[in-house]
Amino acid sequence: MSLDLSKLVGQIIDLAASLKSKEGERKAKLEFALKTVKSSAADMNGLKQKVEASKSTWLVAGPKESIDLGQTAPGCPDDFIVLASDGSHIDVDRHQSAHCFLINIGIAQLQYGRGPDAQLLNFPSLYFKDGEVAITSDDGRQLPIEGQLLGIKRSIEECRWLTERVNELSADLPLVALLDGSLILWRLAEQVYPDFVIRELLIDGFLKYLTRLREISRRRPLVVASYISFPRSTEVVNLLRLAICPHLPVDCDRYCSGKFEGRECDVVGGLLDRDLFARLLTPGQRSALFSSRSSVVVKYYGANEVNLFYIRLDGEVARVEVPLWVAENEKLVGLVHSTIWDQCRRGLGYPVALSEAHEQAVVNVADREQFWRLVNQILVEDGIFLESSAKSESKRARWI
Amino acid sequence: MDKVSKIGEVIEASSAEFTAQCYKLEQAPPLGSLVKTQDKLGDIYGVIYNVETHSLEPGRRVVARGENLEAEEEIFKANPQLSRLLTTDFRVLVVGHVEGKSWHHYLPPKPASIHSFVYTCQLEEVRAFTRSLDFLSLIVNARIPVPVDEVIGACLRYASQAHQDPNAFLVKAGKELAFMLSTDVQRLNSLLKRLK
Repeated sequence: MSLDLSKLVGQIIDLAASLKSKEGERKAKLEFALKTVKSSAADMNGLKQKVEASKSTWLVAGPKESIDLGQTAPGCPDDFIVLASDGSHIDVDRHQSAHCFLINIGIAQLQYGRGPDAQLLNFPSLYFKDGEVAITSDDGRQLPIEGQLLGIKRSIEECRWLTERVNELSADLPLVALLDGSLILWRLAEQVYPDFVIRELLIDGFLKYLTRLREISRRRPLVVASYISFPRSTEVVNLLRLAICPHLPVDCDRYCSGKFEGRECDVVGGLLDRDLFARLLTPGQRSALFSSRSSVVVKYYGANEVNLFYIRLDGEVARVEVPLWVAENEKLVGLVHSTIWDQCRRGLGYPVALSEAHEQAVVNVADREQFWRLVNQILVEDGIFLESSAKSESKRARWI
Repeated sequence: MDKVSKIGEVIEASSAEFTAQCYKLEQAPPLGSLVKTQDKLGDIYGVIYNVETHSLEPGRRVVARGENLEAEEEIFKANPQLSRLLTTDFRVLVVGHVEGKSWHHYLPPKPASIHSFVYTCQLEEVRAFTRSLDFLSLIVNARIPVPVDEVIGACLRYASQAHQDPNAFLVKAGKELAFMLSTDVQRLNSLLKRLK
């Protein structure tokens, strides 16, 4: 039975009315937030000290430049390469007899300038060996890689393939290496994972590749950045909450414990960072640089500390994250800024290299079905007895 | 036409026709050209009846990109990925084959093999193949999604250049068509106009 949309029309009308009723309140909050940006920018040292001294429960961005900054993009180099990596996966299917998962990495390498060229590549890998489908601790504990953990594993593989490709390229042209999504492995922070998982995925995985990229950057012009379209983050709005807070030093647990509304800082509550920067920036401009103060970054990232800025595009505000070694070099920040702006204009609002990497990586529903069919076919040809669940069979052969 | 070059590869084949993918974007030979594939059983000859450039992936449409650019080449320069995402295919009507040293102006026993290479033909080869016009009936009676008489006209004009006396060749071809289309004077007249 397909979804009965006629039963939903009334509820969708209610949704629209609810959004409309909140619009006036949101506008007032935004105006107040913009005034706070201006007043805070006038005393950046004061704001930085307030942040440092605070004991806030909010995740607050660390300001590195004046927070009302609107920096115009410099020009792109005459010749440069944009390299992007993206991935998709087929998760372990417990209704299938073969315990395995697939990660498909797409790479787009676009060269601009006097020798335009493109390489579009994909690298599908099947994981099925005991050591591949679970993370094992020294004392033999195991955590299977599936679901959320597989999503993290995929991010690491995206970074690994990007690093390998960067390493293979000749070192003559400026190279911008892009990842899709965040450099912060939020999902590792959201759940409490054992130390051996953090070590394998983050320290010996993602951060190892970021460090490798930093090393390569010493011998060739290279920047690394990740791009988040339509971000829902609120770290800069939370910074305004601190600016607004009348208590010194800010201590949420002490002054506002148990309160979820009516706090002084709630005058900007509900706003997103992108709401602010859609008003503060003109198309092509970037915001100030901020450092991420998220616990996973502070605890593990070290020299790869994640810094970020927002960029206003023609259609949206995007978030760009860079490691500390890029953020500390004005020229490298300029290269990321100009390239992202240029890529979005070439790509109808989204970086064209990321879009093509995605196209190389994407695994659609038909691909998934074909993949499992091929797995089963080859297993049968090899005379391997197969069991699959009745539920899986029922979904495949729909009957009345 | 004066030298053989490998231009593409068969990606779909049936007894009467095949589709080939061009190695280089928009580098298909002209409409009506004679091309061949080489097979274990011998060469298969065909006439190009349609050339198409399109997105490699059926779900992705090509969009206009040059509004703010001066020249069309700049579109490809500014979007280098395009050459990897677009492809040129050409469709070929099979009009004959060679078995051993014998030319046959009728369909081969088996279709062209998938992935077999497609080559252009040398002048001498075109001249040799079109010495007999028996292959014309395969085109005249073909049911294809482009106006078939346009293909016949293009093919004969193209082949005439391989002969020492192009006009004499066209007159001979006109007579052959007159014989084949004796019951359809209107079509014959329209076709003969295309041989000029």
